Amino acid sequence: MKYLFAMIVGLLLGAAAAGGVLYYNPLTESSGPEPAAADRALHYDLPAQVLGVSLGERALLPTLGSRDTALWEDTIDRTALLGLVLQDDANRPAAVASRLLAGSARTDLLLRGVVLSDYWLLTIPDEGTLFVRVDTNVWPFLKQTLLPVWFFDRPWQGPVEYRPTAGPGAQNTAIVIGATGRFSGVEGSAVERYRVTTLNRAANKAEGVGELHLHFFEPQVTAEQPTPGDG
Amino acid sequence: MRTAFFIAVLLGFSGVLAAAHFVPWMGHTRLPSQTEVIASGGRAEQFLIRLPVDRIAATGAGASPLRATPAAAGIALPSELTAQPLLVEHFKVRDSAGNVIGLAARHWSSDAHGVGTAWSVLIPSRGALLLTAPGEAKAALDGALQKAGYRPGSAWSGTSAAPAVAVELTPRDGGEVAAGSDEFEKLDGNYKEVWKVTGVSETGELRGTIELNTVTRRGS
Repeated sequence: MKYLFAMIVGLLLGAAAAGGVLYYNPLTESSGPEPAAADRALHYDLPAQVLGVSLGERALLPTLGSRDTALWEDTIDRTALLGLVLQDDANRPAAVASRLLAGSARTDLLLRGVVLSDYWLLTIPDEGTLFVRVDTNVWPFLKQTLLPVWFFDRPWQGPVEYRPTAGPGAQNTAIVIGATGRFSGVEGSAVERYRVTTLNRAANKAEGVGELHLHFFEPQVTAEQPTPGDG
Repeated sequence: MRTAFFIAVLLGFSGVLAAAHFVPWMGHTRLPSQTEVIASGGRAEQFLIRLPVDRIAATGAGASPLRATPAAAGIALPSELTAQPLLVEHFKVRDSAGNVIGLAARHWSSDAHGVGTAWSVLIPSRGALLLTAPGEAKAALDGALQKAGYRPGSAWSGTSAAPAVAVELTPRDGGEVAAGSDEFEKLDGNYKEVWKVTGVSETGELRGTIELNTVTRRGS
């Protein structure tokens, strides 16, 4: 009986120690690359510039506003679909995006963190459409913000900034593939940055700003500047 | 007893770390892929979207009044984005057996050089596909339905002789499988997009099926 008790206590202690290691593990908390000078920088306010959001019934995300159709089927109940309007540096609406998100098989709680596969279809009117493939490590956000504030009612220490891009491109950047229009055949990279400005569980309120910094490998694809004398 | 205790500590510690590393925490339910090998090589797979149940949202301006109506869960775009025709649609996606297996977004846009279509299709258990094609003419579906007798504001149904209006929205030689991830990574191929509309309600809600017929093969 003593042996059994010692074994159980030992197992629990070992498991707790491993839990501590996982919680404070620096391998899963690394930030993505800092946005460098981008060919195109777009940003959006959350939830103000969300056109629509559909959440899977098992997707652990705070509600960002009104929901479209619920994603209840077993095959898509850990996914989300967002429509967004993005603005340029002058805060003018410049693009519309559809984001398809799903938990990634690359999630590794020991080495990588909690990874989401995030696929953007981004259309800049009068220019064309881009496909952006992002691996997003949400573990730092979950650990520092969402879990303590949203699920355990702890006071929020904000605003906070996250750079969750974790690949799948070189130097942990996202992959950009031109799809249509003047972006056809173009390739590039991207990084994201988020600034969470409000998180209030009692008021069911979450606000923030998301940024998408695009870098094209072809230098000619930059924002069109108005020609002097136009308009 | 001390030895047993330390072995248990080690087991608990390594067991949790192993679980953190090896357990597929973000696994998705996977249904058997409805693919078939074709004679010319590669594999064919059909994705279906049933209207109206699989339409999640649609918005746009100047592209297709029928596909971006309030009945199609319209979401408003700022006027700055609609100076040129634009159509954004979100759907659930089914396999050829009719099971919901994923999500899709379709963007149709125009620029000075023409129009283009891009699909992003996400099958969570398998990865994502990017499909691109020269876009269909503006209001192509609306025009085809009006030729078949549909009038805006009135309900319309196919007849027993012609139960559906089929409109192919990709060019004759199809669109391109432009990129993919995970299981779809490094696949080349093409696709055809066909809308088969069997009816339209008075409010403009479409009934029918969208078929995405893909043929893919391992690229270089």
